[in-house]
Formats: sequence, structure tokens, C-alpha cells
Amino acid sequence: MELQRIGIKLFADSSAPEPVPVREFIPVFHSWIQKQAIENHLLIDVHNYSHIHNGPGILLVAQEGNFSIDMADGRMGLLYYRKKSGDDIAAVLKTALAACKLLESDPALGGRLRFRTDEMLVVTNDRLLAPNDDQTFAELKPSLDAALKRLLPERKFTFARSSVNPKDRLAIQVQIG
Amino acid sequence: MPTWEEKLADRIDPQLADEINVFETEIQLRKQGKLDEKVFAETRLRRGAYGQRYDNGHRNDGIRSQELKYTTDLTKGPDTLWDAPGMQRIKIPFGGLNPDQMETLADLAEEYADSVLHVTTRQDFQFHFVQIDDTPSLMRRLAAVGITTREACGNSVRNVTACPLAGVCRTEVFDVIPYAKASAKFMLGHPDAQGFGRKFKIAFSGCEGEACGLVNMHDLGGIAVKRIEGGKEKRGFALYVGGGLGAVPHDAKLFDPFLPEEELLPTTQAIARVFARLGEKKNRAQARVKFLVAKLGIEEFRRLVLEERKILPHDPRWTSYLTNLNRDTEKPLRPPSHLNGQKRPEGFDAWYTTNVYRQKQEGYVVASITVPLGDLSSWQMRELAQIARRFSGDSVRTTVEQNMLLRWVSEAELPALYQELQRIGLNEPGAGTIVDITACPGTDTCKLGISSSRGLAAELSRRLAAKSFNLDQSVKNLRIKISGCFNSCGQHHISDLGFYGVSRNINNRKVPHFQVVLGGQWQNNAGAYGLALISIPSKRIPDVVDRITERYVRERQHAESFQSFIKRIGKRELARMLEDLTLVPSFEADPSFYSDWGDPRVYTIGDMGTGECAGEVISVSQFEMAAAERLVFEGQMSLDEGDFTRADAHAYDAMLQAARSLVKEEFMDVPNEPDRVVSEFRTRFYDTNLLGDRYAGSKFAQYLFKRHEAPPREHTQDQAHRIVEEAQLFIEAAHAGHDIIAERRNKLP
Repeated sequence: MELQRIGIKLFADSSAPEPVPVREFIPVFHSWIQKQAIENHLLIDVHNYSHIHNGPGILLVAQEGNFSIDMADGRMGLLYYRKKSGDDIAAVLKTALAACKLLESDPALGGRLRFRTDEMLVVTNDRLLAPNDDQTFAELKPSLDAALKRLLPERKFTFARSSVNPKDRLAIQVQIG
Repeated sequence: MPTWEEKLADRIDPQLADEINVFETEIQLRKQGKLDEKVFAETRLRRGAYGQRYDNGHRNDGIRSQELKYTTDLTKGPDTLWDAPGMQRIKIPFGGLNPDQMETLADLAEEYADSVLHVTTRQDFQFHFVQIDDTPSLMRRLAAVGITTREACGNSVRNVTACPLAGVCRTEVFDVIPYAKASAKFMLGHPDAQGFGRKFKIAFSGCEGEACGLVNMHDLGGIAVKRIEGGKEKRGFALYVGGGLGAVPHDAKLFDPFLPEEELLPTTQAIARVFARLGEKKNRAQARVKFLVAKLGIEEFRRLVLEERKILPHDPRWTSYLTNLNRDTEKPLRPPSHLNGQKRPEGFDAWYTTNVYRQKQEGYVVASITVPLGDLSSWQMRELAQIARRFSGDSVRTTVEQNMLLRWVSEAELPALYQELQRIGLNEPGAGTIVDITACPGTDTCKLGISSSRGLAAELSRRLAAKSFNLDQSVKNLRIKISGCFNSCGQHHISDLGFYGVSRNINNRKVPHFQVVLGGQWQNNAGAYGLALISIPSKRIPDVVDRITERYVRERQHAESFQSFIKRIGKRELARMLEDLTLVPSFEADPSFYSDWGDPRVYTIGDMGTGECAGEVISVSQFEMAAAERLVFEGQMSLDEGDFTRADAHAYDAMLQAARSLVKEEFMDVPNEPDRVVSEFRTRFYDTNLLGDRYAGSKFAQYLFKRHEAPPREHTQDQAHRIVEEAQLFIEAAHAGHDIIAERRNKLP
């Protein structure tokens, strides 16, 4: 399946003693633009959506894809949406993980942010090419499994659809053992 | 690979489908360098695809101006890079939405934008960070649910707005929605509305006293009026023309105190013709119809319009909609009911006080949804569609205050509705009060933004909401509106406390400021415009709000309105009481003054670009010629695909189109029939040798005559190839013909 638009969300560890207020990510993302800190990405602008309930929080717009401190379902995480063709799922995963590492080590956040390593969410952001049905799920699972195994060879993965509503996008919850 | 075009083919109105196909072809032509960037810019603007801040490839990152190296140098307009994210505006006539449309909008924001839907101050939606290549699919999916983006921007008739309470309002004279709908449909793509030098905005209001329609600030506005004629009640409109905000706001002038309903559309058409013919084209700052009305005077403008009206060819659409006025009457989902001692959830009472409007239909209410900064997430919009299906049906509206309304809610269901809104975080009280601040996009995304209107609005809203329970009732009911520059998209002129962004050079550094605008009036259809008083550093605007509102509470005399208070206190005193707030500490002492709200970068105005609001001034002829170019291109495609019949047809149509564009230089109303086009072209340009050997007397004209008089009996590759080439030559000659006409006109005294 030739999908351009894939989203990957890695969840923040909510057990941290002091959660990072979402607006603190604004200067962090601006500093990323100054340094063009994400490989193979043209970082363009930062947008504050913290006023939207369970919304995209703080958005970092790049030509190739958008990064956001996403608050969907009330769970903070880094969501990376790939917009352009040219990268497979493994590359998209790699970018999302690289962004998480950058955030974890950002001095402005002072080590207060950690991402969970036992789960992630993969979203196909294309209702035409990847409708939310069993067939798409079955087609996508092997390439997702292979991509994850390449990046994390020691781990095991289980996959489940988070909704069967055909109006929703296909979203796959990945449990990492 | 499947496409949206195939998937939605049977769900899109053929005309809309054609328009989107045309746009997609124009995108391809631009990519191949076959369409001029200015023509393409106006083309995309007329389809709602706007530029966005930083699309010139430069952005100040707080340290330096960084070049944004996009993958291609291709442009989608002057100084506007192809790959730079843009804004897509989506017209929602009178703000009317149904749940299916809401779900589609939610899907599109998710897939093509940043998962956020922004309600504008003219009842539209805007998506930001959209790639131009995605827009045809986006438009097709909208078209499949009956929404068009056509003429959402550019020098055209923009979204027709109307009071969001129309039809359920307790003070309306009659429901203006059928008229707003008919106007929007009639003027969409109307040939007489294609030659404007600037945009043209229309609004309707059901009554004179309330604010809703804001007729006074529109290019054309109608306020519902009834009168008795021959013992019968007759509907009409008090028609206003030439209003507008912008840097220098103009009050609309009364064109007719009672324009009968059957005259609404022809008069609008006549006004459009006069505006297209006489409106300024070169100086965009003077090109809105308000300047033409001011220049001519309302009497002369009226005379010209009425003369034009007399010679308009009759159009049955002028009145056909009047026979169906009651056909679209909204039907409630549930029987009427009242709140009778039901258990009320926590927070309900505060929300009920500010966010619920009792309809004129007993037992029904309108629920306002306070949308912070006009932004909803895709998830919220999708959930809201489900909520609408349960409580309101198809009766959803956007408002010019960037909120949404659910109408026809049976009152006893309000507690359940409130809980549902609470679940999705849209249960904030305070709709239409001081905490519900309107703001344009400003420096967040707009190329013209000077200061952060949204940043300031968020900050003020946060502070005011925190103390809202302690605010005096007289202050609660005030309105704040903020624009990022003087262009008034945030409608700062018509609020109690208005602000617009400016920049000041202090200590050799730029400091974001806002002009404080006082004395505006929201009521009476934007009854009065405020005036700028003093510019204050952005970071001190919250102090301005506190000082003025506290003094109003302290010194208000009896039931004195805010406008009366401002007038009584006087500008001199108001300026005096704010004067110390103009002081800016040195950068070393407090650098926060040198950055804007919500943006940690050191402030600069270097990121400002050239606005596209004005669009590109492209003549009707240029559009016609662009259409001819597209047709001949499609002929070439058909030839390549081996479809010779189609190639021939496209080539012939291209020549007709080009000939028609020339004829229109002299005869605006030339019909579309090929016989007539060819006949007029022959008479005016060939027989008269008006254009000399260079064109009309040349062999190129014969290509058209030959094909018109003797269509091919069979379609072969040779024939198709030849006629495509001939069509291309004919178009080149037509371009030359237009140049000659222009040269001759320029030589006229």
C-alpha cells in the first residue's frame, strides 16, 4: 500500500511527577526552527492551539509533515503526521522517535518529559487509500510489523484497531512488549 | 489508484465538477509554466486558495531572517512559493450547515490541514497549512456535500452573510435566509461580477435594531422591511450600499428605503455592473465600492444603477425563487418543551444565562457554542455533528463572532445538550460577552498581520474568564474585537473595546503595539464606528481593558451605555488616563515588551508580505483567454489519448472562447451561442478590419470560420492535430488582438 499520509503518536509518560504545561513547548519548537533540528525536514512555523480542548496543542509545521504536542483523548503525546511521499513507515517512525528524543533531551524542558515505550498509535490519514476496514488493516499490519522490528528488533508487537467506525480514519493501537 | 474524482462522480453537481476540473487543469498548466503566475494567483484566489504568512520563502526565526528552502522555485502567485502551505477559505452562505457537511469539513481539516477548523468573522471556515496540490480533492469532497469554495477570495462576490438567528429571531420582520441563499446562488460566478477591482460583500439582516447582519459595514446590505400596498402586505428591503471597514471605514448609504423583493436580484446585478465598469482598478486601496459611492455621491450612483437596471436583459432567476419561499422552512426534530424543574448539571445555569436564546417559536431555543478564537478540532466538529443530529437537525449556523449555533433545540433537552457539549469541551459560557473575543488570524498566519491579535485575544480571554464572576454586569456585556492590522478583519471598529495591531520603533527596536479603538457600536447593524485613540504596547493592553472597564463601573451614570460613557468622558481624558501605559522599558530592563503575545521570538515586522485580500486585478478578457488556453490544452490531451472527436471539440471551443473574449470588449452581453459569437466576431473584427492585417484580416480568423461552417465529417488524427494547432494560433492572434485594443484605448484622450 502506497500511503503518503501516516500519523504516529508516541505518548508522554503520565506518571511523571510534574507534567509539562503544553505552552512550554512553544519556545522549544521555535528553537528547533532556528536550528532546523529535524533531519530532512524544512521546519516552518509554530502554532498555538492550546485553547482547543483535547486538540493539537502546540503545532510545529514542516513542509514534509507536522509535529504536535497532541492532547487527543486527554493524553499528551508527540504526534507526527507525514504529508509528503518519499518515506515508508519505517522512516516515518524514525522521524517520530527522533523528535521524541529531542524533546526528552531539550534543556528547556529539564528532563520532565519522558515518552512511553510500551505503546504507540499509528493513524492512516487518508480515507480514500486507506479506509477504516479489515482489509486495510490486514494490508498495513505486515509492513508496520516489519518496520517496527527493524527499529526495535528485541521487542514484540500486537496490533488492534481503535475504532471500527468507517467514518473514522484507520487507527492502530500498537502494544510493545 | 482510486481518486476522489472517480469516487464522487455521481455525487457532485456537474457544473461544480467542471469548475474543479478546470482548476485542476490550471494547476497543471501553471506547473508547466503555461499559465502566468498573476492569472493563476487570481484563479486560485477565486477558488478560495489563499496565500499564507512565510509563503515568500522567508521567516524571521527570532535571531535572523531564515530562507525557507522549499523543494521547487515554482510560484503560485507573485512572490508566493508553490510548496509553501496556504490557507483554504470555504464559503458557508449565511453560515448554514448540516451534520453531513460538518463531518466532511472535519475529515478535510484532518487530512489536508492541521486538524483545526477556523470560523471566520464572515461565517466562513478556513483551513490553514494546506498544500495547493491537495485543493482539487478537497474541493471535490466539499462539492459532494453541496459546498463550494468558488469566489471565497479574490475580487469577487464573497460569502453572503446573514443574521444567524434568521427564521427564529423574535425581532425580525421576516426570515431573510431565502433571499440570502438566492443572492449567493445568483451572484456565484455571475458574468457581471467577474470584472471587479476589489471584493464585494453582501449581508442581510432581519431587523434594524440588532447587530446580527452588520449591514452598515457591507458593500451591499438588505434589512427586511414590510409595507402595505393596495391593502396587501409586501416584502422588501431597505437596501444599503457602499459600507465597509478597512483602514477607513465607511457607513453604508441608503440606496432605497423599500426595494421590493422581486427587485433584489436585478438591482444587485445592476450594482455589480456599475461597480465593474466604473470602480477603480489600478489603485487597490481605492477600489472597493464604498469609494465609488463616495466619489459619485449616492444620488448619481443610484441614477447609474437604475439606468443599468432598465437595460438588463430579463433573467427568470430574478424571481423564480420567490415562489418557493416557504419550501425550505426548517422543521424541528422534537416537539416543543420547557425547562420545568429538571435537574441541571453543574455549570448549566451560567451557560444558560449567556448561551441560550429563546426562539420566537414557543418551546424552542438556540444554543450558542462558544468557540475559543473560532477554532474547533476535527474531533470536536465530528462530535458536534452527532450532537446536532440528536438535538438540532440541519439547523446549524456559524456566526460572525466566530461561534456556532444549534437552532430548534427543544428547551427541555438543554441539560442533556449541555452535558454533551461539556464532553467535547464546548460548554464554555459567555457567548457574546466580554470574554468571547473576536480576533482575525493576525500574525499567526496572515501575511499582513502586524501584531498578534489571536495571542492578545487568548490572553485577555484567559484573564477575563478568571474573574468573570466578579465582573459587573455592565462590563460583562461589552464586546472586544481585535485585528492584527488596520484592515479590520477582526471588526475592531464596531466593538466597545477595539484593538488593531501597529508597530512602533522604540530604543532602536520594534515593539508590537495595538491602537485602542473606542466608541464603536455593534448594535443597530454595526451602527457606529469607533476611532483610534492611542497606541499602547501589546503587553499593556490588558491594563487598558482593566482601567477603562473599572472606570466605567465606577463612574457610570444610571444606565449609561458604554458608548455614552466614552463620549462623556472625552478622548482627551481617556488618552490622559492611558498615557503612562505607552511607556516601554528598555530591552535590557524587560525584554518581554519586545516580543508579542504567545510568540517568544524577538518581534519584527520583516515577515510581513503582500496581502492577497485584494486579489490580482485580472480583466474579464484575461479570464476568457485563460479559459481558451485551458481548452486548447485539453484538446492536446485528448489528441495524445487518441480521442480525436474530443480533441476537435476542445479546439473549436477554444477558438470560440477566444473570439468571444474579443467581442466582449465591445459587446458585454454577447450570448454564448456559437452562431452569434462567430457572427459578432465577423462583423466587429473581420469585416471592419478593425484590427488590421495583424489579426482580423489574417488567415487565423479563417480557422474559426472554417471549423464553424463545416464541422469535420469524420474525426481523424490528422484533422484533430491540425485543428488543435489552428486553435493555438488563433488564440495567439486573439492575444495580439487584445493588445491592439488596449493600445488604442490608451491613446484615447
